[in-house]
Amino acid sequence: MHKSFISQNPSVLWFLAALSLFTLTVVLLSEATGTAMISTSFVKTLGKTLCLCLVAIAMDVVWGYCGILSLGHFAFFGIGGYAIGMWLMYARTETIVLDSLSGQVIPPTPQEVSDAIGNQIFGVVGSSEFPLIWAFADSLFLQLLMVVLVPGLLALVFGWLAFRSRVTGVYLSILTQAMTLALSLYLFQNDSGLRGNNGLSGLQNIPGFEQTPQAIISIVFFVASAVALAAGYVFFAWVVSGKMGSVIKGIRDNEARVRFLGYHVETYKLFVFTITAVVSAIAGALYYPQAGIINPGEIAPIASIYLAVWVAIGGRGRLYGAAIGAVFVSLLSSWFTGGGAPDINLGFYTIQWTDWWLVLLGVSFVAVTLFFPKGIGGLFDYLVRKP
Amino acid sequence: MAMLLEVSGVSVTFDGFRAINNLSINFAEAELRAIIGPNGAGKTTFMDIVTGKTKPDTGKVIWGEKNISLLGLSESQIAREGIGRKFQKPTVFEAQTVRQNLAMALENPRGPFAVLTHKKTARNAARIEAIAEEIGLIDSLTRVAGELSHGQKQWLEIGMLLAQEPRLLLVDEPAAGMTVEEREKTTDILRKAAKTRAVVVVEHDMEFVRRLDCKVTVLHEGAVLAEGSLDHVTSDQTVIDVYLGRGHA
Repeated sequence: MHKSFISQNPSVLWFLAALSLFTLTVVLLSEATGTAMISTSFVKTLGKTLCLCLVAIAMDVVWGYCGILSLGHFAFFGIGGYAIGMWLMYARTETIVLDSLSGQVIPPTPQEVSDAIGNQIFGVVGSSEFPLIWAFADSLFLQLLMVVLVPGLLALVFGWLAFRSRVTGVYLSILTQAMTLALSLYLFQNDSGLRGNNGLSGLQNIPGFEQTPQAIISIVFFVASAVALAAGYVFFAWVVSGKMGSVIKGIRDNEARVRFLGYHVETYKLFVFTITAVVSAIAGALYYPQAGIINPGEIAPIASIYLAVWVAIGGRGRLYGAAIGAVFVSLLSSWFTGGGAPDINLGFYTIQWTDWWLVLLGVSFVAVTLFFPKGIGGLFDYLVRKP
Repeated sequence: MAMLLEVSGVSVTFDGFRAINNLSINFAEAELRAIIGPNGAGKTTFMDIVTGKTKPDTGKVIWGEKNISLLGLSESQIAREGIGRKFQKPTVFEAQTVRQNLAMALENPRGPFAVLTHKKTARNAARIEAIAEEIGLIDSLTRVAGELSHGQKQWLEIGMLLAQEPRLLLVDEPAAGMTVEEREKTTDILRKAAKTRAVVVVEHDMEFVRRLDCKVTVLHEGAVLAEGSLDHVTSDQTVIDVYLGRGHA
């Protein structure tokens, strides 16, 4: 079965080969191995980009293959980040609090420790009480489970309600966007229990590894992101190949026909929506420890729209296209908005890319949709003759 | 004779327009039947009701020897009960190959998990090839369905229906847009299919219906106007009036 899967999907091998080569190169050139040709902060940028690739291929499965234009998958990404961030922040604050209290003559009671941690974490929003949603924050295992369960259940319930009412097309997109907006507005509130607009910070400090330099930690997360991307790619390539792929693409192209063939379309949509939400959350859980901070702004609807833009520019309906789109657009975006691109002086007006990048991106998006519907990934069709 | 499908006293109203008006119609096992009627007679709505797309206001739709009511079932459940439907426009999955189209339709478990772990078997391949042979697409299995000619797409869709192994096939205007030779082949496929299952053909084209050589039901304003052989119904005065438009005068 494995042989036929690879031989039917040669792009999987190519993708894995390119990813391995890239990972190996970055590791060898990083500060961790002493070569230091790539700075630690750039390793983090690359590691984050791999996570963005993973959420992009999930988006491609739900949109490019199944035809559901979800504008909510970056929300699942963010929930994954929040879930892991809660443990990171709790465990690290606990270490600091225990350290500072260790000098006291009378050992602190568990209640005192808990209060001190609460004060440290929630002082910024004028509170010291642990909200109920932090109930599992002291356990890495349970919090990792939350990374998968919370977005999974949210996607399951939301998808069930939306799909069973046969909400499709642009209406479904609006609904997913509303969900995303509601979530981010909720998180912006101080009493949401997740520190309002301060978000969670210090996530780059991994509890238990305080002495380990960031150079090493960055490489560990970079490699973990690469492994997750590889696993996600193989998993999704398997899902969209074969008969499942046929049914999913059939739903995209003609939902009613699939229904009259005897397939329960809603169940399939729910399946795709939920597994892609879970994978997005895993990508987010790997992303935010590298970013160091997560706040509700990350979940804002614009992020999910970006995700759709990456996939469209990279090429819908092919997994490597989505990955290419994510790499290309997100790195280009950092270059333009980070002051990397030189301003263009037109004499009467100076184009400053920090302001004009979004315009350029918008124009590119329209141009790609109109003139190159296959996106960047479509270029590969010229290289490889279709079997 | 035990009936495969019994539709009795069914009425549907869309915004005050009575599309189906107290319609009663029965189909036996392995029967070939043509349904004709002018535009707006309720032919497509009748199919929508049987396949679960439209729920009637009143009436009963009873299926099989267990006398199941189809009204409580969803489209996909009805399809799994053994009712296949061919749309008026050829609707095949144009981005996929003929083989993939047939494989998707092939009678097999329909749940997501079964589909995800589905493995290609020699038996399934043989079934696909047998159907492809029957619809004349055996040499086109690896072609993308979008490349097929109009007639070939119609056959592919009929092939997909056969692959579902339904007990009742509802076929909406299969001959539309076909050449004379294509029509003949389509007639052959349908007549052969009707030897082992019920086939109901909705058609405008009298010549095509004549070639099917089967019992004919004439629908008009959502009810059965006449039933019998083609010669019988075409000599019926009310049918002549309706077809010539004098019925409305």
